Amino acid sequence: MNTTKQKVIQKKLPREVYNALKNVVGEQWIYEQRSVVETYSKLSIEGFSFIKKHNKDPHVLPACVVLPASTEETQAIVRICNRYQIPFIPFTNGQVFCNPTTPDPTLIIHLSRMNKIVRIDVDNMNATVQAYVDYGQLQAETMKRGLWNGGSPLATSLCKLGSQFAFAGLWQTDLKYGLLNRNVVSVKMVLPDGEILTTGSRCIPKAGDFWEYGPGPDLLGLQRSGIGTNGIVTEITLKLHPWVGDEAFPEVPGGRPSLRDVHEPKYDSPAAPLKNHKLYWIEYQDLESQIKAMIEIAHSGIAIGLNATGVYSAYYCSQTQDMTVERCKNKFFPPYNCYVILANITSDKQIEYEEKVLQQIVKEHGGTFLSESYKPEVLEALKPWNYDCIRHSTGYRMNRKMYANAWLPQGPFENAFKTSREWKKALELFGEVDITDRGGADDTPFVYALQRGHFCLFETDNYPDPTLPEEIMKAATYGMYGAAAFIRNDMGPMLMAFLNAEPFTTMFPEAGPNAHLFMRKIRKVFDPNSVASPGRQVFTEEEWQQFPKEIKTAVNKMRQMQGLTAVE
Amino acid sequence: MTYYEKKPEKKFFEKELEDYRDSVWGCARCNWCQNQWGWNVKSAEFSEICPAFHEYRIFPYSGMGKMHIARAIIEGDFDYDDAPEVVKFLYTCTTCGACEMNCQRLQDKEPLQVNEVLRARFVRDGVGPMPEHKNLIKSVKNYDNPWMQPRTQRDRWAKKLPIKDANKEKVETLFFVGCTSAFDNTQWHVAQNTATILLKSGVDLGMLGKNEICCGSPVARIGDRETFIALAKRNIELLNSSGVKEIVSFCPGCFRAMTHDYKEIPGAPALKARVFHTAEYIDKLITEGKLPIKGELRMRVTWHDPCHLGRHLGIYDPPRRILQAIPGVELVEMERIKDQSWCCGGGGGARTAFMDFAQKTATKRLREAQKTGAQSIVTSCPFCEQNLGDAAGKMDDGIEVLDLTDLLIKVLDID
Repeated sequence: MNTTKQKVIQKKLPREVYNALKNVVGEQWIYEQRSVVETYSKLSIEGFSFIKKHNKDPHVLPACVVLPASTEETQAIVRICNRYQIPFIPFTNGQVFCNPTTPDPTLIIHLSRMNKIVRIDVDNMNATVQAYVDYGQLQAETMKRGLWNGGSPLATSLCKLGSQFAFAGLWQTDLKYGLLNRNVVSVKMVLPDGEILTTGSRCIPKAGDFWEYGPGPDLLGLQRSGIGTNGIVTEITLKLHPWVGDEAFPEVPGGRPSLRDVHEPKYDSPAAPLKNHKLYWIEYQDLESQIKAMIEIAHSGIAIGLNATGVYSAYYCSQTQDMTVERCKNKFFPPYNCYVILANITSDKQIEYEEKVLQQIVKEHGGTFLSESYKPEVLEALKPWNYDCIRHSTGYRMNRKMYANAWLPQGPFENAFKTSREWKKALELFGEVDITDRGGADDTPFVYALQRGHFCLFETDNYPDPTLPEEIMKAATYGMYGAAAFIRNDMGPMLMAFLNAEPFTTMFPEAGPNAHLFMRKIRKVFDPNSVASPGRQVFTEEEWQQFPKEIKTAVNKMRQMQGLTAVE
Repeated sequence: MTYYEKKPEKKFFEKELEDYRDSVWGCARCNWCQNQWGWNVKSAEFSEICPAFHEYRIFPYSGMGKMHIARAIIEGDFDYDDAPEVVKFLYTCTTCGACEMNCQRLQDKEPLQVNEVLRARFVRDGVGPMPEHKNLIKSVKNYDNPWMQPRTQRDRWAKKLPIKDANKEKVETLFFVGCTSAFDNTQWHVAQNTATILLKSGVDLGMLGKNEICCGSPVARIGDRETFIALAKRNIELLNSSGVKEIVSFCPGCFRAMTHDYKEIPGAPALKARVFHTAEYIDKLITEGKLPIKGELRMRVTWHDPCHLGRHLGIYDPPRRILQAIPGVELVEMERIKDQSWCCGGGGGARTAFMDFAQKTATKRLREAQKTGAQSIVTSCPFCEQNLGDAAGKMDDGIEVLDLTDLLIKVLDID
């Protein structure tokens, strides 16, 4: 081993804290070895954690990892953290925004032991799961009972439901079922000071899980998209909906791969969507006709999912990175396309009717269905979506390289044009990274039609080389520029992250001055010792003062490029 | 050079940890290395796939964790002295390859290879393997087998069987018995069954007897590349000079070594004979009508895919076809099968160093098998049979563990 390189040394917890934690979970479930904390320090899509790794910044290393088995153990841990003023960060998969950001010895509370489905209430159509249960697990169990939770996120069905509540929870079938946070009946949380909060009607003992607002005020709403700042979700109860598809996914006709031939496309090619479901791919001549058609489809009341994935299909549906790059280069997938998921929920005639409506709308807007007679090779390549449209499994292929910087603005359909326009400007200003999402510069921007088309999500991303810090910084610049651009254009808040996560919360006060100032006050009440996920959703004054000057300068530079005044 | 530009391809056994630098930096934390491929999940209970993560619940035991540890070691973020615990994380892995399967499918990366190269680095630098493995390596070096048995005992299982001596006479097909079936008398029946079945089918069968040597798989998996390469080269020379056209092996470890690992040794000559696993070979004999099956076996069984046979090399269907060819046998499948099969817990040196973990993993597999309603769990791997068999023996309601040939021999038309 090369020992001449600079080591990165972790801080350790004071022994009395360690011993107190050990008494809660037992010796088997507490770890402070150097290699263990390493695996909780570099995150998936958070560019700054990569930069810190390149810079050998010890602040990304937690001091200790502890694994509670229950809400009560989590509560005991949080109380110890308060007693000794030790910052803690809840952790599930570790894909986003969970890295330690403070110089203090930080505790990771890994919820991987809390992986049980607590109950599935078929009669009242809801399910209660612990924090580490994922979409795929819940789907598998509920589908057998003729129910499902209504979708799975594009970031794959491995996302933990409890974690997603801390963000927003975007699904492919949001058109009908809405975001995850519209499907939550109740959460049980350990608040930053160690109190246990149960929201919804369940807060009344034995009242049952049926109403998310509870006796009021709506504490659930206060906790949605809190990114962990307001507490740790240990249990979540979700609404279930009727499921009319197969009890389990049928075998893919191509069989099962081995390590010898795993990249053969046949293994990702389900013959057809699940029973009572259909998937249509439509190509348009230009972005304008596509967006107009999407508006009509969304508002017509048909379909459970309506999304345009643009260039992303090249990732999701390509079995290797080489194939992805080749398909992007050759524009294998049509530049303006979207997909529609139909489900036969009410009667045999439902899909027949919805197909007619869809065909009429597509015809009026000059669209063409991909079919056996029109671009069959593209339709064949898109087959992973036959199953992914219900339980997404190939989604994280987009992160094969590194998924740093994302623009995730929300808004009405016409914001697709603004997103595309702004992205073109960014491309001109900053140039490309190793793989650059064209983001609608010359094809469809990513568009997810949400909640019957009342609003949409748009997305553009960059994929820098993770081994090159300068590339990651360039990608991060896109992110900062995007945030400033959307503020200048009076566009809606970003979904999930960025404008509700620091440093953007503080550095873009225009995004929600009342909300963010209020959250800062709330944090003082909920988290008097500032121990919960420090620096995540909203800085305290002290944390803001400690925030690195160079990042403040970089963000201010982007603000000034957009004609916004600097934030001091 | 950017991340995914093609690099001059090296053979696996000359690759160093630094060759995986791009890959380990790019680990996406998608967590598919710990879980069944999404479309295959049929229940929450059987949705996970990494035995070590399932048991210990922290990331260093998973493929993803190894990627992060490898990154830190490559960049010098910590040293062996700072993290002596790493050796345990590396060797708790059963090398089942489930992480590699899902990571290749989704992220195009190689967590199992990274783990094996980490092991090789640790062995090279004298900080690995586990103490228990050192005896195994010593045995392979001294006795040409991992079981500390004298070479003279290697063919005891074959007494009274009319198998030709491939050292002395020309044969078409060589039965490469493998060390475990040759030396472990509780497994002799498998070698005897296999030989009997092949002979009954008219195969011109020979063996090397006392001259057979370890295929090298156990030391390759442990990370002792030097010993493995030396053994492999001896084996290639021995097998090529025997002039056999076919080699049949019952052990998936031997089968993988000869069909895959030997090709990954820089400068090693190619093995001339075609290598078959028993399941493949018997399936071929049945298809060609050469295996005289008579009688019936009224049994409900489930098939356990050995990782090195199934996930690593794609032999999924032949053993299933064999079971279905036996009159009266009903094959019922577990939830986790084929590429998503749950490991028995016995591979990669895990059983040697961490018996308790290996047995817990086996017990989980047996519970899954019981849920199918099968009377027996059938497989075709000496390590799976040892590990599952031992675990079944400790269960009050243990399911029977059988080798594929145990069933076949019962319906073979033998006078």
